[in-house]
This record gives sequence, C-alpha cells and structure tokens, in this order.
Amino acid sequence: MTAVLAILLDSYRALKAQKLFKTVLGLSVVVILGFASFGFNEQGMTFFFGLLDVESEYIYEGSKWAKTLYLGIFSYFIVSIWLGWAATILALISTSSIFPSFLSEGAVELTMSKPVRRTTMFFTKYLGGLMFVFLQVGLFCVGAFLVVGWRIGEWNATIFLAIPLVTLFFSYLFCVNVFFGVMTRSTLVALLFTVLFWFTTFGIRTADDTLSMVQFRTETLVSMSEKSLEAAEDNLKEYQEELVEIRKQGSDSAKEYYESQLKRGELNLEDEQKSLNERRETLGQLKPWGIVLDVIRWPLPETSRTIGLLSRWVEQDNEVSFDEILSGDWGEEGEGSGDRRPREIATERINELEETVPAFQIIGKSLIFELVILIFAWWIFVRRDY
Amino acid sequence: MAATAVISVNDVHKTFKRRVHALRGVSMRVNEGEVFGLLGPNGAGKSTLVKILMTVIKPTRLQGSILGKPVGHKPTLRHVGYLPEHHRFPKHLRAGEVLDYFASLSGVPRKVRRKRVDEMLELVGMQDWKKQRVGEFSKGMQQRIGIAQALMNDPRILMLDEPTDGVDPVGRREIRDLLIRLRDEGRTIFINSHLLSELEMVCNRVAIMVKGQVSMEGTIDDLTSDSRRYEIVVQDDLPPALEESLGTGVTILESDRSRLVLPNADSLQVQPIIDRLRSGGVIIESVQPVRESLEELFMRAVNSTGEDAATPGAVKGKVAKP
Repeated sequence: MTAVLAILLDSYRALKAQKLFKTVLGLSVVVILGFASFGFNEQGMTFFFGLLDVESEYIYEGSKWAKTLYLGIFSYFIVSIWLGWAATILALISTSSIFPSFLSEGAVELTMSKPVRRTTMFFTKYLGGLMFVFLQVGLFCVGAFLVVGWRIGEWNATIFLAIPLVTLFFSYLFCVNVFFGVMTRSTLVALLFTVLFWFTTFGIRTADDTLSMVQFRTETLVSMSEKSLEAAEDNLKEYQEELVEIRKQGSDSAKEYYESQLKRGELNLEDEQKSLNERRETLGQLKPWGIVLDVIRWPLPETSRTIGLLSRWVEQDNEVSFDEILSGDWGEEGEGSGDRRPREIATERINELEETVPAFQIIGKSLIFELVILIFAWWIFVRRDY
Repeated sequence: MAATAVISVNDVHKTFKRRVHALRGVSMRVNEGEVFGLLGPNGAGKSTLVKILMTVIKPTRLQGSILGKPVGHKPTLRHVGYLPEHHRFPKHLRAGEVLDYFASLSGVPRKVRRKRVDEMLELVGMQDWKKQRVGEFSKGMQQRIGIAQALMNDPRILMLDEPTDGVDPVGRREIRDLLIRLRDEGRTIFINSHLLSELEMVCNRVAIMVKGQVSMEGTIDDLTSDSRRYEIVVQDDLPPALEESLGTGVTILESDRSRLVLPNADSLQVQPIIDRLRSGGVIIESVQPVRESLEELFMRAVNSTGEDAATPGAVKGKVAKP
C-alpha cells in the first residue's frame, strides 16, 4: 500500500510540476468566468456580468427556459467542447510522457528493482495518469456548480457527474496512449497514435451517423412516396369511376376533362412508382454499408456518447429540452409540429435512437475496449526486459 | 567455518533478441560481509547480470538465490539497495523527495523514512541540498544522491553499478571512504566498475567477466599469488661472473641488467642473494616485493580467453547449447 500511495503521489507531483497542468487550470478558470459572466434578470439575459442586457419573452430570471438554457450551455457546450475536446487534447499532451518517461533508460531500473510487482506499478501509474483529468474536471465542476447555483438559484449536484464521465471518456483514449507508450517508449509516437485513433473513431462515428441520417431520410421519403402512390392510385380510381359515369351521361366537355385527368393521373402514378422504386433501391444500397459501419464501430469506444450522457442526466427533470431552445421551438401549439421535412424527421429519429441506447451499454462496451487494450499494454509491460 | 553466501548464481544465461548472447553460463558467489568487485570490458555482461539479480531483466536460464530466496523473489529486494548505471531521477523531485519516494517503494515506513532521509543526505554530504530539485544537480551530486537512495532501506546487500561514474577525484575518494565504512559495518557490497585501481583498494574478492563468462574469480591475493616476486635494483649492471654465482632462481632482465627478479620468492629466500651481491661489491639501491596489479590481472584474464579485449559487445549468433 505504501508503494501504491508513493507512485500516486509521485504522479501527482509530476503532473503538478508541468506548466501545462497550471495552464489548463488557468484556462478552466477563464471558461468558468466566461460562463459566470452570462446570467438573467427580470427582463431577459445579461452578458459580461450585466454590461449588456438582451430582453427576451421566454428567457428571464426564474423561467423554466433560463434553467434549461444555463444547464444546456454547461453540458452541451462547456463539457462537450471545452472538456471533451480542448482540455482533453491538452491532457493527452501532458500525460503522454508518463509511461515513456517511467520506462526510459536510467529511470526504469530504479523502480523495477524495488519490491513492487510490475502489475501493481502498471495499474497505479495508469491511475496516476487519469488523476490529471480527474483533478482538472473536479476543480472545474466545483466552479461550474457554484456559478450555476448563483445564476439560476439551483444547487444542481448532477453537474458533478461530469467528473466520472469526462474521466471515463479520457480513459478510452489514455489506454491507447499507454499501449503505444509502453510499446514504443516514445512520447511523440504515443501521442500521435492516440490522436490518430481518436480522429479515426470520430470519423467512423460521423460516417455512421451521416449514413443513418441518409438512411432515415430515405426511409421517410419511401414512406412519403408510398403514401403519394396510394393517393395517386385512389385518384386514378376515382377518375376512372367518374369517367364511367360521364360516359353514360354523354357530356363531351366533361368527358374530355376526365380523360385528360385520367391520363395525367396515370403519368403521375408512373412517376410516383418510379420515384418509389429509386428510393427503395437507394435504401437497399445504403443498408449493407450501414451494417459494415456498425460492425466497425461496435468494438470502438463510445467517446461522444459517454460525454453525451451528461446532457441526458443533467437535464432529466426539466420540462423543456435544450434542443427546443436552440431550434427556437418554445413548445407553443401548432409550431414545430406538422409540416416537417424528411431531414428534420430523420434528425429526430436519430436523437430518439440515441436516447434509447442504455448508459450501461455505452459505458460497458467502451470499458471492454479499454480493458482489452490495457491487457495488451500490461502484457508488454510485465514481460519486457529493461 | 565456511562463509554464508548472500548471492549465489549458477549457470546464468541471457539471450536477447537477434541471438545476442549476453551471458553464457555465469556462476559466482558473493559472501556475507565482503566487498565483491565485478570487472570486465564493455559489453562483457556485467550490467545484464546485475539487472537479472535486481529483476529488471528476465534470465533465459538461471539457478540461484539472493539472501536465501530464489532470484526474482520481489519481497527479498526490500533488503537490497541498488544504484544503476546512468540512473535518472524524476527531475521534478527534490533531493529529500527522491530518497523518500524510492524508500517508500522499498516499503520503508514513513517514520523511518523521515529520519533516514536526513541521515543519508548527511552521509553523502548532501544535507544542504535537501530542498533542491535533482534536475539541477551535477553528475557527481546525482551519484551521491543515488548512493543515499540505495542505502535508504538499510540494505543487507548494496549493489552499485559504476558508483564513481562522473564523480571528480575528491568525490571518488569520499565514495571510496564511504564504501570502506560500509564494509566495516559488515554490509555486503557488490560493485560493478571499470575503475580497477579503486576496486583494488576496497574489494575482498573479484570476478572478471569476458564475453558473457566468468574468466576468473577469487580474492585479489589468490588471483595474483602466481605473480608474486621480489625485485632487487642494483646501482650498475651486474657483472657476468657474479650472475652465475646467484643460481637459477634469479632472473636478470636483458633490457635492464641492473634489475634482478626472484619469482615466487619470499623474504627468507632473498637474504642469501643480498649477501652474495654485497660480498661481490654490488651496491643495492632497492629490494621490494612486487605483486601483479589488478589492471595486469584484468588484462591477463581478458587475453587468456582468446577474446580481443578491445572489442566490446556480447557474443552474437549461434552458440553451443550448454
């Protein structure tokens, strides 16, 4: 236990000694101050600590929209962009050297010759790396918690869920970093491969989401085409019945009109059929690619979905969603519903689908990936000659 | 009574990737309380052997023990202090923190660590540098901290790989004095070094390794006993008539006829020779017992293996299976 605590303490000292640690901390303070500078009064929103006022019918002090907007900014923008991207890149740069430095010639002999098992060393050092993010996000959340409490009067403890979620998200990338760090003993190579891996997973996820979007949109279009086809068939049938009646009565002008309508209806039916066939064909072509991307995506860690869990959990008690505010849909009747385009329907379906993916699946699947990578890294670490 | 072996290894083999045979059946024994010197040219396998003993490298084959436990038994390392060659401490740590950190890895309790940090810093003359970051230290200062680090767990065996590397002459002398002090305390010290003259002053026993094998092992006296001789230097070249009267036990160098060598002679055997020289009117300038130096012994060991001492590196390629 003494050795484990010593390694953790040393990791903390090593991180603290880095200029980047203090830089990230300083930047976090700037982000929190930026967040705090935005607030509400009875007329609407205030910016730059009240220097600029913007009147709003919906968003004002105490309104349900204000609360959702404020928490939404935290979980959608601050956590996703600052903690999920910028701070993570800085954390990766800071922690990439942990294993290569530990295993460098002259340093490794000192530690490996101590009465501590290599497995203990490996996992403690790994936890030491995660400590960087844990501490940074922890301090950040304390700031965010205080700001949210001050601005909307709600002491929302779910904000602290960002600590385990962002640490988890970082751990998916850090395990890759450790694997390459142990394998090559080079900080630069480890960092490059981690960033490459991150961008690859991002690319695959984006491709999969885009394909799903196109697929859902095409499905919506197929469904619309089927309805149109059905309507065209009904119209045609109606015209045919009308024409039979007209022919019996013998009005030439009416007969001519219905015959032209019938002809147009037949052409329309043909077009609709053709369009439907084309869309079905497109759908048929998309489906195998969707399966391929799903298969590729399955073993990869769910980085953005893990971060996305925060917006699910932080928002859960609210009557309105942050998406509704962003889209300008204030929940009034008649607006936002009705004549929607296929793209909007597809977006909504994707969002619904995302909401239905259980948290344990997102985290569990990603942790399996992390475990497998860590086992490979550990295997190299314990068996190697130094 | 036979001395207790604290390190005993037999038939140690280590083959690295690409068939580099660093160790080819090394066997040696280090007794309790002795200062044991491991010598050898670059690439002889000295550091590899030490790293195997310290579990940094895994052997290809090994039979042996440290302090009665099999080599590789981690808990035993609580009683071993180690200073690796070209060691590098975490630059962010201060001198006191370095000692504290490595002692905690050795399982030394906090209370004991606190006390020993000051004691060890004082022992190596670094007490005024406790709060200074080790990244700012010179090579010699780092070496002193390294020795202090190796002593933090109050080890029964101290393994030092090139302890005076990068240390100035004054520092070397201090380290040598420290080693003598530790030896007198009854600690077992295993030193791996190139500096033969220093080892000669502190070691009880030595082993010379060449190309992954132990070429010689024993006390310096035993190893150099064959080379023991007396040398008599006279003022002028020895007259040929007198030379014959000295007998066959005396050798006169062709290059220097004023120097007489008596191989394997003791002081009693020298007396009649001195008498004969004096009665022959020869003026004697000096009479002294001479023994092979460790450097000469080292060169003899290297040459006796038929290997080129100037060629560094382990044996590469196929070797006969033992």
